[in-house]
Amino acid sequence: MDTSESPWEDDSPWGDNPKSIQDSEWSKISSDFQNAGYREGITAGKESHLQQGFDEGFAQTGAPLGREIGLLRGAASAILSLLTSKNPLPGLTSDSNRDALVQEARYINSELSEIRFSDVVPPDLEAIAHAREHLEAANEDDRSMDIELGEEVESKRKMESLEDAMAKMGAGSITAEVKKGRPKPDDVVRLRGRLTQLSEKLGVPLGLL
Amino acid sequence: MDFDLEELVNVEETFYNEGYKDGFAHGRIHGLIEGRALGREKGFEMWEELGFYEGFAATWKAIYDKRGIEDDRAINHIKHLQDLIAQFPKANPSASEPSELDIPKLFRQIRSRHKALCATLGVRVTYGMEPAAPPSASDDDPPVSLEPGKSGGKKKVWTLDNPSPSAGEKMSF
Repeated sequence: MDTSESPWEDDSPWGDNPKSIQDSEWSKISSDFQNAGYREGITAGKESHLQQGFDEGFAQTGAPLGREIGLLRGAASAILSLLTSKNPLPGLTSDSNRDALVQEARYINSELSEIRFSDVVPPDLEAIAHAREHLEAANEDDRSMDIELGEEVESKRKMESLEDAMAKMGAGSITAEVKKGRPKPDDVVRLRGRLTQLSEKLGVPLGLL
Repeated sequence: MDFDLEELVNVEETFYNEGYKDGFAHGRIHGLIEGRALGREKGFEMWEELGFYEGFAATWKAIYDKRGIEDDRAINHIKHLQDLIAQFPKANPSASEPSELDIPKLFRQIRSRHKALCATLGVRVTYGMEPAAPPSASDDDPPVSLEPGKSGGKKKVWTLDNPSPSAGEKMSF
């Protein structure tokens, strides 16, 4: 144990000095004004940067990620609608072959439809780092604020797990799907692979994917 | 004790400004984080739907290419649809320059063009619905009529200039 410093603090030579009362009064005033400024500043700083954050999130993460999933779903839906239409491509004459392809297309469509934003969105590293700072600061600093990081996503996740629970209760037919847990970004890669294979069998190139 | 009032006011202001500066820097981080969470979600929502139409159209184009058909009503719809989607911003246009683009109108045009394409193809509109169409419905002869009441009408289009009108009320500092 390190005891070299504590004795000095315990009987501080300035402990009885009346000037310290003035000092503490003074520091109270100064911190009152600092705190008032801090509160105003934090509101102004936040409001003036919401838009910038929004634009970043939209352009850098949300739009490209959404488009990636959307393209896969659209292509998978087109392939399935082709396979189940009256006039699929020439060469797909064997009924048993076609049934297998339809089954595969259904599987891919249904798996893709499970994927939600909260399953594939990458973590906001800056938000995590900042939340950690808050936790550390909370131990020593009265100014610590409520941590509301990722609150949107978190509440959405809660809502969706509720939806999952309702789905389980409602539909007995999808019990096979239920035990797997939420899809992961890896599943997107896997499903893209299967969709690409399927479309190659049909001779339909998926240029966009 | 004598006070120079002027000086005291200055001192107060100095303390206030110090706090303001620190607070602003902290608020900036929170604004960016919260804004980013909203923007990610909104961008995903919009482009997931647009991407669906885009992927659907591109794949049917490839199918028509494979069949060797170049001139067809479906091809025409696909071209229009691809044109419309190309106009849709992948970044928030309010960020750079004020835009004349009517986003909700563009979205409506894209949706109805997609529905028209589905009708021409004789395919059910599946966006926002159960993915696997029951075989009985999809085996019908084309063109199958659409179900106009059920087509993704629940999605609300968000105005790009005003991402979170309520964000100011939710703050908890």
